Amino acid sequence: MFAVLIDQFWSLTIAGIALGFIYVLISLGYTMVYGVLRMINFANSEIFMWGTFGTVITSRDIFHYTQTSEPAKGFKLIFVLLCSLLMSMAVAGLTAVFVEFVAYRRLRMKGTNRLATLISAIGISIALQEVMRLLTSSRPVGSPRVLEKIILTEMWGANVRLDTVITIIAAAIIFFILERFIKLSRMGKAIRAVSQNEDAAKLMGVNLNRVITTTFLVGGLATGAAGFFYITVFEYTKFNIGFTMGMAAFTAAVLGGIGNIRGAFFGGLTLGLLEVYASAVLGTQWKAVTVFIVLVLVLLFKPNGLFGEAVQTTRA
Amino acid sequence: MNKKIKGSLAIVTAAAVAFGIASVPTASAAAKTYTIAYQGPLSGGEASTGIDEQNAVKYAAKLFMAANKGYTIKVVSVDDQGDPAVASTVAPGVGANKNILGVVGPAYSGATIASLPYYKAGSLALISPSATRVSLTDPKSPDFGGPVFHRVVGKDDLQGPALAKYATAGVSNAKVFVFDDQSAYAVPLRGFVENGLKKVAGATLVGGDSVPNTTTDFSPTVAKIKTSGATVVIYTGYYSQAAVFIKQLRDSGSTAVFAGGDGVFNQEFPKLAGAAAEGSKVTGVGGLAGISSKLEADFKAKMGVSSGVYSVEAFDAANIFLSGIKAGKTTREAMLKYVNAYSGKSISGNTIKFDKNGDISYGLFAGFTSKNGVLVNTGIVK
Repeated sequence: MFAVLIDQFWSLTIAGIALGFIYVLISLGYTMVYGVLRMINFANSEIFMWGTFGTVITSRDIFHYTQTSEPAKGFKLIFVLLCSLLMSMAVAGLTAVFVEFVAYRRLRMKGTNRLATLISAIGISIALQEVMRLLTSSRPVGSPRVLEKIILTEMWGANVRLDTVITIIAAAIIFFILERFIKLSRMGKAIRAVSQNEDAAKLMGVNLNRVITTTFLVGGLATGAAGFFYITVFEYTKFNIGFTMGMAAFTAAVLGGIGNIRGAFFGGLTLGLLEVYASAVLGTQWKAVTVFIVLVLVLLFKPNGLFGEAVQTTRA
Repeated sequence: MNKKIKGSLAIVTAAAVAFGIASVPTASAAAKTYTIAYQGPLSGGEASTGIDEQNAVKYAAKLFMAANKGYTIKVVSVDDQGDPAVASTVAPGVGANKNILGVVGPAYSGATIASLPYYKAGSLALISPSATRVSLTDPKSPDFGGPVFHRVVGKDDLQGPALAKYATAGVSNAKVFVFDDQSAYAVPLRGFVENGLKKVAGATLVGGDSVPNTTTDFSPTVAKIKTSGATVVIYTGYYSQAAVFIKQLRDSGSTAVFAGGDGVFNQEFPKLAGAAAEGSKVTGVGGLAGISSKLEADFKAKMGVSSGVYSVEAFDAANIFLSGIKAGKTTREAMLKYVNAYSGKSISGNTIKFDKNGDISYGLFAGFTSKNGVLVNTGIVK
């Protein structure tokens, strides 16, 4: 039963961490919005899905890479990857702002109750998914291989591949930048102020609409970056991938303590590792069972998640 | 108030169009209109399969109308999303609409089971191009579809052994790892593959897994394959997941032979997987292009798209109903009798004749190997 885990421990661990970092970035999209609005952004999964298409379009349609073309090298490789990353972030960021305008802002202005916004968010997420389904004729979309998956080194019998290393390092950097932004920038302080007390923040002259839009934008940017890493590792997307990834990331956010940025970080990594270990030991059919039993157990003892503090009290 | 009436009128009209209740178009009063239906996933995650099959049905209707002046064939789209829950909500309407003489479909086995009660009650003949679950034509099973259910595709108990044989061909003392995608199609097929392996000399089953069909991270499965020392990996599931998996298997450095069933049989598979798909073996049913490139070119000219999965089967199924209409079988009862007694040639040259449970006598699976980004037919697996 444990033979696979012992034999392939480091391969699994590296894969789990890479997957975990993708979860971390998506769960930021949930956690940021929750921290400020106390509402779950159900459209975040589709924002992620749209983000993955940003990378595909950049490499396939702008730089004309195909399934059979040679992977990029040197400066061009860095340039294409950077453009793809920025494109994914831009697509997802704009989609998130669009979601805020359409599904949240107008309803908020009219003073509707929370349930109405919940439904409008679900509505727009279905619309986003169906639009992509129609655009892609329901077919899965393969992304050309821009980054050759070179085996950099062998570590304790596990292959350390370039794509996973880039994912882990770059995702960690992006997370760190966002965390600093929330902690130190003027806007970040405003976000935390709104999160703490909306009315008090308003009275202090904080522009509520700008803060909320920025929150969606930042969450969208992180989610879009996750879309880029997802494509880099898996080279595949489809109009319906959002649900599974979104569900996992939302679980990660709750596991870590929703509304808490550091919680998203540890929740994402824990979930990524838990998924691969459980699959290896018990069989992949037990993955979801294990993950959700762990989630229920954590919530039984720590109802606010592992790091049950909210955005407003986030410390560095 | 006015708005409400308008709204409900619109719904009624939409329903009338959807279920083919709308009257015969006055412009072609001389032509007689006959209605058949196609049922399968036309939206949702499996939509590409249904759209491909429905195109083949529409193509058959087009050819029929061109060859037989005075007939207008209407193909009603019944979208069950490949989902039993959806099927059980759309099937009552189809069952009650007496204009529909026959249904090509349902495409998926689970949706078929959910729809059957309504079609049995309405004596509505079904010819499925792709529902391969064994129990559908097993009189001892509660899923048994007789006398209305027929299929022009081979069952999974024929495919499983064929896949086991084809996957291990040329590999001496094959160590085989088999995994499924947890779907109603893949789990039984995996059982038939594992049974079939017992009859392959020298082959041993070294491991298995069951991976949800929404998975994109296959690293635990790849780890298991490496630990098991497998030289052949067989996947029962669908092509999009297979493409994601094979890339990850090759990136891990494994050179094991990869094989899949008809769910993987789709020209999109090598396109999605790129170089990683090279040499992969797939069992499936030959499409229109496999029969003749002229036929495929004509299909593309008339339908605007290439033919897809199960196009031959859907085309054959539609033709059975169309020949029934030509033979004057314009009630459901007459049509059902006609289909049960039908004997004719498939476009692939095989004789279509249903046994008393609704199965055809042939059902040979062809082997396909991925070469330079295309699945190439290597002939029937014997």
